[in-house]
Amino acid sequence: MKIAYSHLVKHIKENPSIEMISDKLFQLGHEHETHDGIFDMEFTPNRGDCLSIKGLLRDLAVFYSVDLSQDIYSENLDQLLLNFENLSENICTHISFLKIEIENIPKEYTGSLNSYFSDLCLNKNNFYTDVSNYLSYETGQPTHCYDSEKVKGKIVLHEIDGDEEFETLLGKKIMLTGNNAVFSLDNNVISLAGVMGGKSTSCTSDTKTAIIECAYFQPEAVIGKSVKYDIHSDSSHKFERGVDPLCQENVLRRFIKIVSEHANIKDVSMISYKYKKNLVHRIPVDVNKISKIIGAHINKQDYLKYLLKLGFHVEEDFIEVPSFRSDIYTHNDLAEEVARVIGYDNILKSEINIPCNQTPFDNNIENKLRYFLLDHGFYEVINSPFVKHDLANSIKVDNPLDTNRQFLRTNIYNSLVDNLLYNEKRQKDSIKLFEISDIYSSSDGIHKKRILSIIASGKVGLNYRDFSKNIDKEYLARIFQEILPNYSLDFNELPRDLLNTKIKNKIISLEIAIDNLPIDLSYKEKSRPPHKYNQYNPISEKPSSYKDLSFSINDYSKATKLQDLLLNYENDIIKHVYVFDYFFNEKKEEIKIGFRFIFQSKKTTLTAGEIDVVYNEVVEKSLSIKGLSIPGLQSN
Amino acid sequence: MSVSKDISPPALIVETGALHPINHMKDSIMNLLISFGFEIVDGPEIETEEFNFDMLNIKKSHPARQMHDTFYVEKKSNLLRTHTSPVQIRGMLERKPPLAFISGGKVYRKDDDATHLPMFHQVEGIYVDENVSFAQLKDLIYKIIYSLFGKDIELRFRPSYFPFTEPSAEVDILSREGKWLEILGCGLVNPIVLKNCNIDPNKYSGLAFGLGIERIAMLKHGVTDIRDFYKSNLDFLRQFK
Repeated sequence: MKIAYSHLVKHIKENPSIEMISDKLFQLGHEHETHDGIFDMEFTPNRGDCLSIKGLLRDLAVFYSVDLSQDIYSENLDQLLLNFENLSENICTHISFLKIEIENIPKEYTGSLNSYFSDLCLNKNNFYTDVSNYLSYETGQPTHCYDSEKVKGKIVLHEIDGDEEFETLLGKKIMLTGNNAVFSLDNNVISLAGVMGGKSTSCTSDTKTAIIECAYFQPEAVIGKSVKYDIHSDSSHKFERGVDPLCQENVLRRFIKIVSEHANIKDVSMISYKYKKNLVHRIPVDVNKISKIIGAHINKQDYLKYLLKLGFHVEEDFIEVPSFRSDIYTHNDLAEEVARVIGYDNILKSEINIPCNQTPFDNNIENKLRYFLLDHGFYEVINSPFVKHDLANSIKVDNPLDTNRQFLRTNIYNSLVDNLLYNEKRQKDSIKLFEISDIYSSSDGIHKKRILSIIASGKVGLNYRDFSKNIDKEYLARIFQEILPNYSLDFNELPRDLLNTKIKNKIISLEIAIDNLPIDLSYKEKSRPPHKYNQYNPISEKPSSYKDLSFSINDYSKATKLQDLLLNYENDIIKHVYVFDYFFNEKKEEIKIGFRFIFQSKKTTLTAGEIDVVYNEVVEKSLSIKGLSIPGLQSN
Repeated sequence: MSVSKDISPPALIVETGALHPINHMKDSIMNLLISFGFEIVDGPEIETEEFNFDMLNIKKSHPARQMHDTFYVEKKSNLLRTHTSPVQIRGMLERKPPLAFISGGKVYRKDDDATHLPMFHQVEGIYVDENVSFAQLKDLIYKIIYSLFGKDIELRFRPSYFPFTEPSAEVDILSREGKWLEILGCGLVNPIVLKNCNIDPNKYSGLAFGLGIERIAMLKHGVTDIRDFYKSNLDFLRQFK
């Protein structure tokens, strides 16, 4: 909500700067940004009472001398003869109607009404709607204006259940479905209560006589309607958060006053309906309780002073909560009021000592499995549980984000297959992934299983020992012997037929229920979690390619020199270098060593020419080391 | 020319894997909280409205309960938990004060854009005892933030609103760029919630806090797009070991 600094400060005697008010608003918990003299406010949903100039001033009154008085029409008013019936008293406990007729429609606005439109750069609509919008900004209470000429008949406020067409005053046609509170005229919906009025009865620039409706709606009756029908309005925003149930008459008198400042009023009358007794919520004065909650000594005088300034009343050792503060029920609520006034940052810390728990966390089966897999080059992934297809006993999401995510997965390996293909498309030739997650299924109730799922494909490792070995069931069975000896594991080789890929590497998967594993799992991990938080270097989505470089070395000392040069070779497009081949030929007394260079740019798709420039540079620098030769060059 | 006869093979570089950075961050935070005296309690990701909302003083009319914010399953009989707070309810129902426990894991909200995902991770903690105060909550939060970001970090407490805590606060840290960043939500457990869990609010009070793991991991690692965590790209995952 946008609120102009100038509209606030004119009511504050001390004339604080925008920065001073901004600091106080933050202290009170009212988040905002400031731009060009405008506060762009973001209120917490419990503070519907702050959604206006008056509301914010009521909170700022705890720090400043604030003038909260408003010029209202104070003369006696004739009773409006209106054919109205409220069949939903439970959701609309207070409602007032004003009928007002003016001689001429003003062409220009003055005073606060004019400042509202000019300072906030708002578009005008028609006179009555403009006054209504301004009043909502000033008082926080929405009003709705009907063109009196279009409202001939009985107005009924009631709840409808079923489909009903409705055209909003903005001309949007919607189909009301389910339960809705509406105003009807001759059985036609003329307003979606608390959200938006209808086109058929709306005011226009020619309207001289209007009926203004000013109501209190229970938030429950309004919540969700604007989202459901995609008709966001200032009214629904305010009613959802709760308005003051006792302000309607006063707001309509303010309406008359503003109209009178712009036009000659020919006729005016008002009627109010109250369907619920006004009960004042009272909380005993107990400053010790407040001190205990905050954890600091609070002086009783200060306590009561703060509350009085915030609009509370104190009566016979009871604090009376004002009607506009529907969020205050308990001492904790009052303690928060006091804490806000003191400033959360000004409340001193008090040493906390929680009775000690010594249960170690990282020594369970799950963590042993995780570190075992890390030791063997597996990376942990986390996947979304939402999937497109249902399997036996899948749980259906009633309100999915889209049809591709309408079920909860009943296995993890399908997610891992997607991860595998994703990485294969990025030219990864050794892929080992795992995920541990709960999965849910439905069969005579909801069932949860904690699952470890792994998938692996491609080369066993990117080093000269493992490069020529491909991942298969035997490889995985062999490494799992280390952690689960004598345990029968069901490794699967997944067919590639339906995977839309030309890669032929075997895909091996395993999915096991963790709860079924022996609790005395024994494994001494080698990997440990990192002690520092590495700074992420954004990855490239450009394709990578590789080139190999193999050497024959007779002077073995040069092998180390060569490795130092190549494994640490720095160039913007060299992403990774590793030794993929090593062989010592005893007969020839010769070392054969092969390096693989992975090239990838962060900015462009590399051309063969661009790669060759760097590759040739590598070759040249390598050959500057005496005692080695390159028998041949291989490339992809 | 003398020729070396040392034929030791090249160092065998065997690649180790890495924990997912979100799980690593979650574990780090949970281990930190355990060192403060908390124990771990687990709970289901599929919850009831009663535990996810009602018991936490989230009214029937609260916007969070709408179909556009919460995923419902099995003809609205259950839902995907929108926070780890229902675990706190289960924990409080099972234990007697004094109690101090944490819960961490996946939570779900019906968001999907550049800054919000339908699935993300939280760690929440609760401590209920006699005379637990807001001043003590501040002490705990300072300890958590200092442990995570160092003692030079500047932080501030802002009044906020959560139906299950009162008073409620959000805590911001000051970034190197001079911008305040929201890092966690906390407060004193609303007496209504204690009462719902059969704990006498006249005798006991409690504090509670919750951290979004992705947010902290993004700050600690300098990841700017939350979606990167869940692409399972090996080039991304390799950077966190």
